[in-house]
Amino acid sequence: MKKKTLITRREFIKRSSLAAVGGAVFLTKPEWAALNAGLRAKSFPEVQKSKVVLVRNKDVLNSQGRPVYEVVLDMLDAAVKELTGQPDALSSWKSLIKPDDIVGIKSNVWSYIPTTTEVENALKKRVLDAGVREASIAIDDRGVLRNPVFQKATALINARPMRAHHWSGVGTLIKNYIMFVPDPPNYHGDSCASLASIWEKPLVKGKTRLNVLVMLTPQFHGVGPHNYNPKYVWSYYGFLVGFDPVAVDATGLRIIQAKRLEFFGEDRPLSPPAKHIFTADTQYHLGTADPSKIELVKIGDDQDILI
Amino acid sequence: MAQSLENLYSILPAELDGWKKAESTATYDRSNLFDYIDGGAELYISYNFQRLLAVRYKGTGDEEIVIDIFDMGNSYDAFGVFSHGREREDGLVGQGSEYNAGLLTFWKDRFYVSILAYPETQAKKELVLSLGRKLADAVPKEGELPPVIGLLPRADLVPESIRYFHHHIWLNSHFFIANENILLIDDKTEAVLAKYKTDDKPVHLLVALYPDKATAKKAEQSFLQNYLPDASGGMAQLPDGRWTACRIRENRLAVVFNAPSRENALSYLDRIGARQPPEG
Repeated sequence: MKKKTLITRREFIKRSSLAAVGGAVFLTKPEWAALNAGLRAKSFPEVQKSKVVLVRNKDVLNSQGRPVYEVVLDMLDAAVKELTGQPDALSSWKSLIKPDDIVGIKSNVWSYIPTTTEVENALKKRVLDAGVREASIAIDDRGVLRNPVFQKATALINARPMRAHHWSGVGTLIKNYIMFVPDPPNYHGDSCASLASIWEKPLVKGKTRLNVLVMLTPQFHGVGPHNYNPKYVWSYYGFLVGFDPVAVDATGLRIIQAKRLEFFGEDRPLSPPAKHIFTADTQYHLGTADPSKIELVKIGDDQDILI
Repeated sequence: MAQSLENLYSILPAELDGWKKAESTATYDRSNLFDYIDGGAELYISYNFQRLLAVRYKGTGDEEIVIDIFDMGNSYDAFGVFSHGREREDGLVGQGSEYNAGLLTFWKDRFYVSILAYPETQAKKELVLSLGRKLADAVPKEGELPPVIGLLPRADLVPESIRYFHHHIWLNSHFFIANENILLIDDKTEAVLAKYKTDDKPVHLLVALYPDKATAKKAEQSFLQNYLPDASGGMAQLPDGRWTACRIRENRLAVVFNAPSRENALSYLDRIGARQPPEG
C-alpha cells in the first residue's frame, strides 16, 4: 500500500516563516497541495494557462436576495464572450453549442443554496439561442442517470453554487458530477479525493462545454445538522466561468478561504480540506489548480472581491 | 416526564402562531442518517448518534421551520456535538445554546437539538426560541459535562472555544495538527481542545484521556516522532518562535501549542487537573 505523505501544522509554520508570508500558505496552497508542488497537470502544458472569468454585478440579486434573470443573462453573456474571444454573446454561445447537440444542464438542487431557476433558465435560453431544439435540452441534478436527455447528451453545462461541505471541504463543479455514478457514497472516502475520476466515465467524458460556479451567495463555513447557517452565507454577486473545472473550483476556493480569513480573523483551514480539487489536478489531470497557471479575468464590480 | 424522542414530539404544540406541525415525522438511525443529512452524518455518528427525529412546522406559502432532535445516547456526546459547531454561547435554551440568524442549536442531557427557520424574522426568532424552550423544559434533568473538561486550567480560558471529541478529524476542524491521526485519537479517547487568551496569538491546549496508560504512551511517542522530533524534555520551539510541549501522566496526554515561551508552555501543563476555584 502506498504510504500517505504526512502533513503537519509544523510544516506550514516552517514554510510560512521561510516565505515570511504568514497565513498566505493556507490561502493559496492548501496543505497537501503545497507539498505536491512539483507535480504538474499533464494535460496542461507549461505555457498554456486556464482562463477563468470572474464576473460580478451587484444588481444580480434583488431585495429578497433572489437572482434577477436579465442580469444573470447579461453576466453569463459577458463571461462567455470573454472566455471564447468571440465578438458578441450569440456567436460566443454558438461556438460552444451546436444546433444538433443534445444538452444536459447539470444543476444542483440543495435546498438552501441551489443553482436557482434563474441561472438554469438563463443557460437554457442561450442553448436555445444557439439553435438547439427544446426537446434536446434537460435540466437535472439527482435524476441525471434516469434522464433520457442526459443519457444521450453530446454536451453538458455544469452549473452549481460553491459552499462549505462536510465531506469534501467545499461543494464544487468537480463534485457536481457525483450524481453521474450510481454509488456516490463510494466517492466519499479520503475527503472525496477521487471525485475527478467520475469525469472519466463515458456518460460525461469530454462532453462538458462550460462550467459555471455560481458565486451569488456562497457559503464559506457550515454548521448544524444540515451544514447550513445563513450567518456563513454572503452576497458575492458573482459567477466564475471557465472551460477547466479544476481552475474554476480552485479560484472559487481561494475566495472562500479569503472570506474565512476575513470573517474568523485567523487562518482556519477547511475541514476536511478541499483535497479533491488538487487531486483533480495532480492525480487525475482534469485541469489545473495552480494559481500561477490560471489566467483570471475580472469583469464588473471589484468591491470586496477578495481575490 | 418526556425522555424519548416520541415524547418530545408529543409536547410540541400542533399549532403555534399560525404555524402548523406537520403530521408526518421522520426518524433516522445510524443506518440511514446519510439519507437525511447531505454529507454531514459522519459528524453525528462519530459522536455516538443513536436516533434523530425530524419535525417540520409549515407556515404560509412554502415557509417551514425544521426541528431536528438528536438522541446522542449520553450527555457527553450531546455536549460534544454542540461544542463542535458553536462559535459562542448565549445561554438562552437548555444547558448551552447558540442562536444565530435563524438557527438555534442547544443541548440538554443526552439530546442535541437544531431548529432552523430561514429567512430570519423577529417573529420567527421568538417562535424558534419558544419551541426550543418547550423542548428543553421537557427534558427532565441536566446531563453531566465530560470530566476531561474539568481538567482545563480556568485562567484566560475562552469558554466557547472548548471542543470535546473522540475523532481526530474534529480536532483538525478547529486546529489543524496533521492530516494523519498522529495523536491516536479514536472513539475510546476523551479529548478536549481549548483556546487561551494571550496578548498575542492564542495558546491552544489539548488534553486527551486514553483508555489506558500504554495507549497514552504510544500516542505520546507518535506525536513526538511525527511532530516534535527535535524535542528536548517533550518541548520544542518552532520556526515562528512559539513553543509546543507535551506531557504524559498515567493515561492522560496534554499538548500545548503556540505558547509564547518555554515557561508559559510549562505553566499550562503544570496547571492541568489542578484544584480550581469554582466558576463564578
